Amino acid sequence: MSSQNNPTNGFNGEDSPLIQTKNLYKSYFNEGLETKVLFDINLTINKGEFVAIMGPSGSGKSTLMHILGFLDNHTEGEYEFHGKAARTMDEDMLAKVRATRVSFVFQAFNLLPRASIYQNVMLPLIYHPIIPAEERDSRVNKAIESVDLTDRTNFLSNQLSGGQKQRVAIARALVTEPELIFADEPTGNLDSASGIQVMKVLQDLHDSGHTIILVTHEQSTAEHADRIIELFDGRITRDTEEFKTRWAVDEDKLMK
Amino acid sequence: MLLSDTISAAMEGLKRSRMRSLLTTLGIVIGVGSVVLMVSIGASFERYILSQVESFSGDTFEIHAKGIQDVGKDVLSITFGDLEAISNLTTVKNIAPAIFLTDRVKYGREEIAPFVFGTTKEIFINWSMKPEYGRLLNDEDDRGAKAVVVLGSQAAEDLFTNTNPIGKRLTIGSRKFTVVGVMEAMGSPLAAQMDSMVYVPFSVAKAIQGRTTYIDYIALQSMGGDNELTRRDIVSLLRQRHNIDNPEDDQDKDDFYARSFEQAMDIIGTVTMSITLFLGLIAGISLLVGGVGIMNIMLVSVTERTKEIGLRKAVGARRQDILLQFLLEAIVLTLIGGVVGVIGALGLGYLLTMIANKLLGGITYAISLQAILLPLATAIIVGLVFGIYPARKAAGLRPIEAMGYE
Repeated sequence: MSSQNNPTNGFNGEDSPLIQTKNLYKSYFNEGLETKVLFDINLTINKGEFVAIMGPSGSGKSTLMHILGFLDNHTEGEYEFHGKAARTMDEDMLAKVRATRVSFVFQAFNLLPRASIYQNVMLPLIYHPIIPAEERDSRVNKAIESVDLTDRTNFLSNQLSGGQKQRVAIARALVTEPELIFADEPTGNLDSASGIQVMKVLQDLHDSGHTIILVTHEQSTAEHADRIIELFDGRITRDTEEFKTRWAVDEDKLMK
Repeated sequence: MLLSDTISAAMEGLKRSRMRSLLTTLGIVIGVGSVVLMVSIGASFERYILSQVESFSGDTFEIHAKGIQDVGKDVLSITFGDLEAISNLTTVKNIAPAIFLTDRVKYGREEIAPFVFGTTKEIFINWSMKPEYGRLLNDEDDRGAKAVVVLGSQAAEDLFTNTNPIGKRLTIGSRKFTVVGVMEAMGSPLAAQMDSMVYVPFSVAKAIQGRTTYIDYIALQSMGGDNELTRRDIVSLLRQRHNIDNPEDDQDKDDFYARSFEQAMDIIGTVTMSITLFLGLIAGISLLVGGVGIMNIMLVSVTERTKEIGLRKAVGARRQDILLQFLLEAIVLTLIGGVVGVIGALGLGYLLTMIANKLLGGITYAISLQAILLPLATAIIVGLVFGIYPARKAAGLRPIEAMGYE
């Protein structure tokens, strides 16, 4: 369901992995001073995965998410999305990718203040280059329905509780039906009940075929994912996918 | 992104900070409003002035010595010979010579000191004046040097108040004159001087003043309507007769003035237009200040809304989408300000004109379409010019820094 509206221009389609990084580095430069944030990140994420990126604060997990989500650029190495190098994309192309292929759920919700739920969920659609204007209304209503907020469609965002706000943010993230949803500490500002609700929604999205990359520092939240990547001081220190693969190989050997 | 989406995004943006949008707009309201108001005041003033003189035929010429302002001083230069020579020109008609008297005019206990014009009947044609009561001067009055007088409306009122002056005898200097006519009021402050004048036959004034050489003034009209040809005819004739070598047509060298009303009106038009332009320019400065206000507020708005801009970019807004949204916000602000300013200025201008009309009379409200459209267009341009920098700043933000992650 995710890619029916997505343009394929320049992307190698389904053959290449969704996300692949090779020796990716990221540094920030401030008044000539270089601060290295990410070191030698090698990562492959395939379509349909539910990945949690874990690590303590300052480990570089959010930076990694921003790079993978085209909100920020990397300093060295390669990042390929569907086989297309992010480096080769110009500003308009990046905007198009953000509009059509990825979406975000932020810890601070980032809703438009003094705008209704409806207007907030509508926002990505007005920048979508393909979805026709006639389809917008039904898409918005469907997205709001999927997070169970239909009865509050016309509420202003500042009239909502934290959990409701995050559900609006999720509705906004899925209204364009992107193939990849990033969630940055989606439960970080929520009480546990609301947090469970939000994670349930993300779980459902994954079950319906979306690729989800979750950034969190909480083990309990990360456990919703099928795969956990741990970062520490800008380096990947653990990737459960690799263990699984190795384990599978070992198992094969054992079987022989 | 559809244009309608951009427009509604811009409108939403403005609505979310209603008070600030309102105050910013006020700067433009005042700027555009004062331009329109000043220009309309200038235009009304110009129309008023021109309406004052439009009753005069533009073909009428006035010829007099330089220094006529100092009546009584011996600055005369136009002679009876000049008058004779001018009369022989083929490009002139209705020649009305005049000699002024400075004697006081008395009737009973009333006494005034008007401008007494010793002239012929042609003066009334040249000045487009009509009698209200009685008659004007005629050829017989002049030939017979009759002691008759025609009064300007104000002079008649000053001397006779409410009684009918026709047939009454009044005194000019030490001589008795019979009132034969009263002029129609010119009805405008600019021509008020004419209403106070008193007219006697040319021959009478000539005799009283004992003039044999000089006359004070000639009014005439050009024949065939080519004023410039008539002017050149008169000027070259008088220069020749006065031995003035002036091939460069420098009027400062002449010892006389020869000017058509048309020229005078042109001069008035130029002066009033300069006044209008000057007022408009001054007001334009306030429009500029309003524009700087727009830029200031848009910059604040961009700073305040960096998160929103970041979010818009994160969900797929392109650079040009953000640029257009913020530009539109600035333009909408200036356009609304412009429209309100124009409406306000039209209303205020109309009101001021009405008040001025009560006080002075004869003033009607004047405004040209350009005077409305130009400030409006300027307002939009101001929005564009002063909006472009903040809009570019907004559009250039990277989504990640805009969202406050760095």
